[in-house]
Amino acid sequence: MEIGIRSLFLALLCTALSFSLLAQEEAQQSVIEPSVERRDINEANIDSENFEFGLVVGVISIEDFSSSMVVGARVAYHVNEDFFVEATYGQAEAGETSFEVLSGGAAFLTEEERDYRYYNVSLGYNLNGETFFTDRWVFNSATYLTLGAGSTDFAGDERFTVVLGAGYRLLLTDYFALHINMKDHLFNSELIGEEKTTHNIEYGLGATFFF
Amino acid sequence: MLMSCKQVFLYFSKLGLGIYLTLVFMTSQALADASVQVLITEPYIELYSGPAGGFPVIHVAAKNEWIRVLKRRTNWFKVETNKGVQGWVKQEALHLTQSSAGEAVKLADGSFASYAQRDVEFGALGGSFEGVPAMTVFADWVATENLVAGVSVTQALGDLSENQFFLVSVQHTTFPEWRLSPYVTLGAGKIRTKPRANLVESGDETRTSDLLAAGFGLRYYIAQNIMLKLEYQHLQALTDRDENEDLEQWKLGFAVFF
Repeated sequence: MEIGIRSLFLALLCTALSFSLLAQEEAQQSVIEPSVERRDINEANIDSENFEFGLVVGVISIEDFSSSMVVGARVAYHVNEDFFVEATYGQAEAGETSFEVLSGGAAFLTEEERDYRYYNVSLGYNLNGETFFTDRWVFNSATYLTLGAGSTDFAGDERFTVVLGAGYRLLLTDYFALHINMKDHLFNSELIGEEKTTHNIEYGLGATFFF
Repeated sequence: MLMSCKQVFLYFSKLGLGIYLTLVFMTSQALADASVQVLITEPYIELYSGPAGGFPVIHVAAKNEWIRVLKRRTNWFKVETNKGVQGWVKQEALHLTQSSAGEAVKLADGSFASYAQRDVEFGALGGSFEGVPAMTVFADWVATENLVAGVSVTQALGDLSENQFFLVSVQHTTFPEWRLSPYVTLGAGKIRTKPRANLVESGDETRTSDLLAAGFGLRYYIAQNIMLKLEYQHLQALTDRDENEDLEQWKLGFAVFF
């Protein structure tokens, strides 16, 4: 009987001790700092994604020369959350003027002169926001405005060109975006006789990567 | 035959799986390598849903929490908390944290202070070259705080001719510490002049000449990573004819720096 009581006390003591040991262990564990890699933070070890590169496909209406498909490339550098600088290149092949179509001969331009190429540099401004496709299906997006200048090589000459643009960028992930954009390329031309300012409106779809 | 096809298929699928696993391992390894953690030392910092101030705040990380810095876009940093919540914090907020070495975090932010330490700048200028519209793109290397070396390409498209020239130039500023700082520039290069297609019959041909340039300008630090430049250049084209050609250019534009 006595042995029974003693063993009971012993058992109780053991349990109590083990509990206190466990508690101690727990206390010790919570004091331990979380395991952190000892890598210091600096510009070099953070991946910065400020450049954007992509391709654009669209339609350009070349004044007096009907509309054609345009293919181009676009590089942008994001300076800060509001501003970016972009350089674009595009090429298309001009169609025929209505005069050429109606007269049935008398071509204004040779095949080579119908190549339409442009490049320009623009400064852009972002209107950042979110696009809600449904209540839970949300993407970051931005509507942007651009103003730039460049050159258009058409009909054997390069012409100084001012470009006004507006676009919409939908970021499917942090580094992949879809674009819809519209641009007006303005340059002076005397191809149809007297000199005038032509408006060549382009709209396109693009896909870009940030890197 | 059927057996061997199966074997080949198996072999390729195993190979594919192997490559896939290796890639996954490598990328996860690379990601693990890239992970940098910082400790929040202020009461809290706010996580935004996107890399701009206009996006909503979606989470608040509290003091003594470690956050992983994943990537950077302009002056915003994508971070992940211990609980796996991802969001963007602005640079000022990241500067309220401590690195794993126990030091306050401080990174280049495009401010006027980091403008003084820039290495490279590039930009575009538009203006007038002998009365016709001209466009210049340039890239500069900031050698010392007073000296900048650079290359530029200009295209001037007039009614009678197209001019293209490049210059290798040196810029000097006496007062690099001023926000609005004047500078002088000297350069040398080549110019190509091509008559308009409708004037080819006039007998002019495309010609290339050496070019010397001297100029002065003003640069102004305007905001985060951007500066404005206004420049006047006097150019001399060393032609084959009896007289050299004196040319003038005005230009205004912007530059970004790193």
